[in-house]
Amino acid sequence: MKAGSNKYTTSEKKPTAFGTILRQASVPLMFIIICAFCIPIAGLSPSYLANEIVTRMGRNSFLILSLLIPIMAGMGLNFGMTLGAMAGEIGLILVSDWQIVGIPGMVLAAIISVPISILLGIFCGKILNKAKGREMITSYIMSFFINGIYQLVVLYLMGSVIPIKHSSIKLPRGYGIRNTVSLLNMRQKLDNLIAINVSGIKIPVMTFIVIGILCLFIIWFRKTKLGQDMRAVGQDMEVARDAGIDVERTRIISIVMSTVLAGIGMIIYLQNMGNIATYSSHSQIGMFCIAALLVGGASVDRASIGNVFLGVILFHTMFIVAPRAGAYITGDSMIGEYFRVFVSYAVITLALVMYETNKRRAKSESSRELRAQQDADEANAAGKENV
Amino acid sequence: MRSKRQILFRAGALLIVLLIAAVMFIIGRGHTVYFDNKTAEYNGQEYEAFHKVVVTVDGEQVSKLGKRDRGMADTMGQNFVMTLEITDEKGAQPHSHKVSMSLPYSMDGIIINIPELMAGLPADAYLSEFVVAPVEETESETAEGEDELGDEFGIGGDV
Amino acid sequence: MTETKTFKDRVVASLKNFGLPRLIITGFLVLLLVLAPFVGADLPTQISNIINRFSWNGILVLAMVPMVHSGCGLNFGLPLGIISGLLGATLSIEFGFTGRLSFLMAILIATPFALVLGSLYGWLLNKIKGGEMMIATYVGFSSVSLMCMMWLLLPYHSPNMVWGLAGKGLRTTISLEGYYNQALAGIGQINIGNISIPTGTLLFFALLAFGIWAFLHTKTGTAMTAVGSNPVFARAAGIDVDKIRMLSVVMSTWLAAIGILVYEQGFGFIQLYMAPFYMALPAVSAILIGGASVNKATIMNVIIGTILFQGIVTMIPTVMNNMIHMDMSEVIRIIASMGMILFALTRKTEASR
Repeated sequence: MKAGSNKYTTSEKKPTAFGTILRQASVPLMFIIICAFCIPIAGLSPSYLANEIVTRMGRNSFLILSLLIPIMAGMGLNFGMTLGAMAGEIGLILVSDWQIVGIPGMVLAAIISVPISILLGIFCGKILNKAKGREMITSYIMSFFINGIYQLVVLYLMGSVIPIKHSSIKLPRGYGIRNTVSLLNMRQKLDNLIAINVSGIKIPVMTFIVIGILCLFIIWFRKTKLGQDMRAVGQDMEVARDAGIDVERTRIISIVMSTVLAGIGMIIYLQNMGNIATYSSHSQIGMFCIAALLVGGASVDRASIGNVFLGVILFHTMFIVAPRAGAYITGDSMIGEYFRVFVSYAVITLALVMYETNKRRAKSESSRELRAQQDADEANAAGKENV
Repeated sequence: MRSKRQILFRAGALLIVLLIAAVMFIIGRGHTVYFDNKTAEYNGQEYEAFHKVVVTVDGEQVSKLGKRDRGMADTMGQNFVMTLEITDEKGAQPHSHKVSMSLPYSMDGIIINIPELMAGLPADAYLSEFVVAPVEETESETAEGEDELGDEFGIGGDV
Repeated sequence: MTETKTFKDRVVASLKNFGLPRLIITGFLVLLLVLAPFVGADLPTQISNIINRFSWNGILVLAMVPMVHSGCGLNFGLPLGIISGLLGATLSIEFGFTGRLSFLMAILIATPFALVLGSLYGWLLNKIKGGEMMIATYVGFSSVSLMCMMWLLLPYHSPNMVWGLAGKGLRTTISLEGYYNQALAGIGQINIGNISIPTGTLLFFALLAFGIWAFLHTKTGTAMTAVGSNPVFARAAGIDVDKIRMLSVVMSTWLAAIGILVYEQGFGFIQLYMAPFYMALPAVSAILIGGASVNKATIMNVIIGTILFQGIVTMIPTVMNNMIHMDMSEVIRIIASMGMILFALTRKTEASR
């Protein structure tokens, strides 16, 4: 009854708390072991590795942070963050056609992406409200569905309906966007705005400041009325409804916020990459952000900012070293590539299984309690009659 | 009452966002500026190319131009400031000029002819638009820049 | 259990249950078929294509039925069964079987894999009742990516399958020429003008479909339906719910294994590595287009759904290309099939937990 009965308080009774902590820590621990095993084999220089990890932290943290709010509202892992990523890409494509460069370009792309994200988020939230209890699979299919719409817009409407001027981003046939859109004049502009070099490791301070602001926002948001409502909805929808919270609206808001943040996160991600793979940049983003969050020790119903950063570090360390280590062990570089893909999926699977088993256990415990209670009541009543 | 204030507040926020967007449009417009050190003719008069021109933009030396050379720089915003260090003849003492100009919004690529610029001619003389020559198109340009994508899983998922 | 429904909602819901999207898709296909001759597409060839594709995909769609019946939801874990089929296919070739015999052997070898993997999968799904679909999806993904490594590492040697230069590691596509290419389709093939009907494959599908239909009418089969429609009642009636669910998962997995082998014999190639990754989605949307829901599916749903889905997949590119010289088939296929799945997911009356 203790294991999963309460989602936000970990400290109940000593032994269970320890068990919970152990279970929570199992995935990060496993990853620490994998990394500890692979790093020496991969034989990468420490400064290269540190550089890569810092870069990837700057690149991915914002995106992963966007997943926290729906988890708070009890909607599970938001596979629909891809929707925001697509909105961000549309913003960037338009901005690069208008030749708005550098930081202003990023800001403008973000401003364009926000209304698109809000619309997509409302749509997604409404659909998810109709599929309560199946949010994750629904948001997952949703990401495919909107990907179809995105392709329709980018591949057929851009250039024919939405004006696109530059032939450098337009397909030769006259409409549609090329497979790759260069963001050369925006590349790492945010990262380099304030960048300091600590013993050969480039630290994109400005990007981290932006991420820090988002963290502060999330911490603040948790304490607001809306944030409290979300947590209440996440704990128990019925109780929240009885307490006068508009459950549907709260859930939609949480998805909208997540989508908007994912859109901005995607812009930060792509400015670091320096180009957009128009039809594939977003397709895997949801998957590896979720995997990273779970690697950091989060679960489907509980995630903190600490999980995000631990997750980025561990997941991406594995990501960097696995191909090299795999190549060294088996003599085939593809093994490592497949290994890291496998690990990402396996981690998500494991986290989902743990979540569902915990939920079931909690549920059967509570129903057993209820039954015991009823039996006791009946026995009491019978006893009274007898007397 | 409260809802009215809320609407006002929202309209204000929207206005601010639109304003920011407008500002971004102006200050973020990127141009590619090309500098030509070429002998040019304007109204029948010839303007001789300099022996050597060193172009500095934002404290960074972007190009050293001999005769008939072209250099380029990417800029942001409508105001463009550059420092030209000009050597007229071989062996002569270089003299430095600070030139600022405003760039036309509509042009992506702008060619500036330095001899005409230094002669103090009007903008339509020294400034012209750079038109990208249509490149032969190949339909399959898929793999381009693929290795840049460090985070891709290399899975061709397309459902 | 949380849904509060008014009478009006119910009327609207039942109207929607009748299936507006399904109606649209049917209408669309009919429109395409009518348009085809006018835009210069050869109708008999198109029909022949649809029949052929139906014969390839039918069994994969059929594999959805047992799991839906037992209340395990749509089998997004189809790739697991496909993996078993692929193991059977590659091992059959590795052991040197050729011709039609290799097909039979592939089925025989795939069966134990399907049974073992299916049992494990069923055991897992029994532990996480209520969250089947999401976990099934990721079980499929994990198994496909695990097998990606295995295809490279397992000691295959047949020169027709491994990379020529390295002498090890399976190729991404393996031709079935000389093995079981058209093993079923070739049996009693009927050719009328431009139409060719793969009688053998259709008969094989009919056999399996009949088998499933007959099974669902046995005692165990009705028990399965009972478990799916009302697990509490089923348990009260003395049915071992977990065992029945396990059986349905094993059946689904086995059907998926057979399904991929049938697909390959028609297609002519074995596709390995990431190919099975998204194979569940077309099958899922096909059965939904056919009128199934998350907890109800019949053989008729399978047949109608596969014809409609494959019909649209075949017809759109041809008609579109001839009409507006714009190939939007891919995009339309994604939007239509994903929209269908989305529609079905929002449309279940009661959560299965």
